Amino acid sequence: MAISAARIASRRVANGAFVAFCYIVTFVALSFLTAILWTLLQKGLGGVNIDVFTMSTPAAGSRGGLLNAIIGSVMLCFYAMVIALTVGILAGTWLAEYAGNSRYGTVVRFLNDVLLSAPSILIGLFVWEVMVANLLHHFSGWAGSVALGLIAIPVIARTTEDVMRLQPTALRESGIALGTPFWSVIRSVLWRSAASGILTGALLAFARISGETAPLLFTALNNQFTSLDMGREMANLPVVMFNYALSAYEDLQRLAWVAALIVSMSVLGITIIARFVSREQKRT
Amino acid sequence: MNEVALDSFDVSVARVDKAQVKLDVQELDFYYGKTHSLKGVSIPFSEKKVTALIGPSGCGKSTLLRTLNRMYALYPGQRATGRIMLDGEDILRPGVNLSMLRARIGMVFQKPTPFPMSIFDNVAFGVKLYENLSKAEMADRVEESLRRAALWDEVKDQLNSSGLGLSGGQQQRLCVARGIAVKPEILLLDEPTSALDPISSAKLEETVTQLKADYTIVIVTHNLGQAARVSDFTGFMYLGELVEFGETASMFTRPVTKRASDYITGRFG
Repeated sequence: MAISAARIASRRVANGAFVAFCYIVTFVALSFLTAILWTLLQKGLGGVNIDVFTMSTPAAGSRGGLLNAIIGSVMLCFYAMVIALTVGILAGTWLAEYAGNSRYGTVVRFLNDVLLSAPSILIGLFVWEVMVANLLHHFSGWAGSVALGLIAIPVIARTTEDVMRLQPTALRESGIALGTPFWSVIRSVLWRSAASGILTGALLAFARISGETAPLLFTALNNQFTSLDMGREMANLPVVMFNYALSAYEDLQRLAWVAALIVSMSVLGITIIARFVSREQKRT
Repeated sequence: MNEVALDSFDVSVARVDKAQVKLDVQELDFYYGKTHSLKGVSIPFSEKKVTALIGPSGCGKSTLLRTLNRMYALYPGQRATGRIMLDGEDILRPGVNLSMLRARIGMVFQKPTPFPMSIFDNVAFGVKLYENLSKAEMADRVEESLRRAALWDEVKDQLNSSGLGLSGGQQQRLCVARGIAVKPEILLLDEPTSALDPISSAKLEETVTQLKADYTIVIVTHNLGQAARVSDFTGFMYLGELVEFGETASMFTRPVTKRASDYITGRFG
């Protein structure tokens, strides 16, 4: 068979065109990302000062900061993660180790995947209906943590299931072969072996919930003052951002940008840590 | 020793002294779902001897090994019928305490499976399930087990570092140490050297030879040389049946059945 120079040439052109297209698309995507980060830094960095971390959210025209919102966000996310880690790790473990291909397991797995992509406003509405409207009869930090927890649970359950399934059968069996009860093999061997994978999932879930606004609007609402009482309304960065960005006052808008910067930087930081952790996992 | 079934030259199971038998498999059938993968296997494992199971891939030797500590019970759909007598008690009957059974019958797998914890904790892991030892007693037990697995000299200065940091051969000997720390009576080895380099394999074989003084050992291997070197008895399996069983020395020099002879001389498998 003769080699056709024309075919090779046309293939080379097609290849060149495709690679060029890939570069252009990547450039477009990255330039939007850069534009977002640039705007964020430009508008947010100017507003960062010591007041941001020492004073509560102000009324328009007076001095103030984001202390109450930062504390509120940390607390809401902390309790949300406590809920999500407990339920998510146990659910993921059950799916990987006990459910197998049973019908019940398949249904739970499917619903978990649905929940994974459920709009967060829907979850906020659900928790509002159940906890705020019918149980507590007022907005509450607990309701906020539950809503955020519900968003994080499917992420953690999914990653836990995936990393547990990656653990070699021989590891499971060698625990069993020593006469160890299965739950004990899970606890002291499999979880340990899967720890960094589970931690990566947890960090990603944390990054996901730390910027959620919609579910908190319905549940924790907001609070002008610094409060550590999870039973009351709780200030938090996303809702402050939402309120102040829409306000007519320039000083409040500036604070909204600062809040956005703080949220983005923490998400960035967490994602970098998650990357680092998962690379550590690959090494062992 | 008297040969039986010599007439057919099809199946030959040598008789062994019943008093020496530690674990006696009788008429064992095994099913993976509907697949009938062990067919009426009867094989004795003599006390403080090494018995090798050889045969081509898929012949059922690993399956047989996994019935001996009832590892298969982990998976629904797998079942065994027949009898496996351990010191005169049938371990297949329902109601057997599997934890206690597995304390008496240890197992080492094809690939090294150190637990994600320190070398010391790896060895102590199984012991903690059954015994409440003081710190000093546990340290002694760990040292003794590591010595017997011929690993002590290599790891005595790093007992607190992770078991995952060891080389493949060291990891496998760590698994042996972990298994014998529980003080079982029987040790099952499932192709323990197939993932190891020749030098590590030789070390592990040496370990096996030394362990024979105290343990009844069953080893599944694809390496005929290894079977010849370490074992006292050999069982040749083919398509789920035990085709020939006898003393290793005679099996490798004068196999009785044609199939065993073909396999040993490398004509198939």
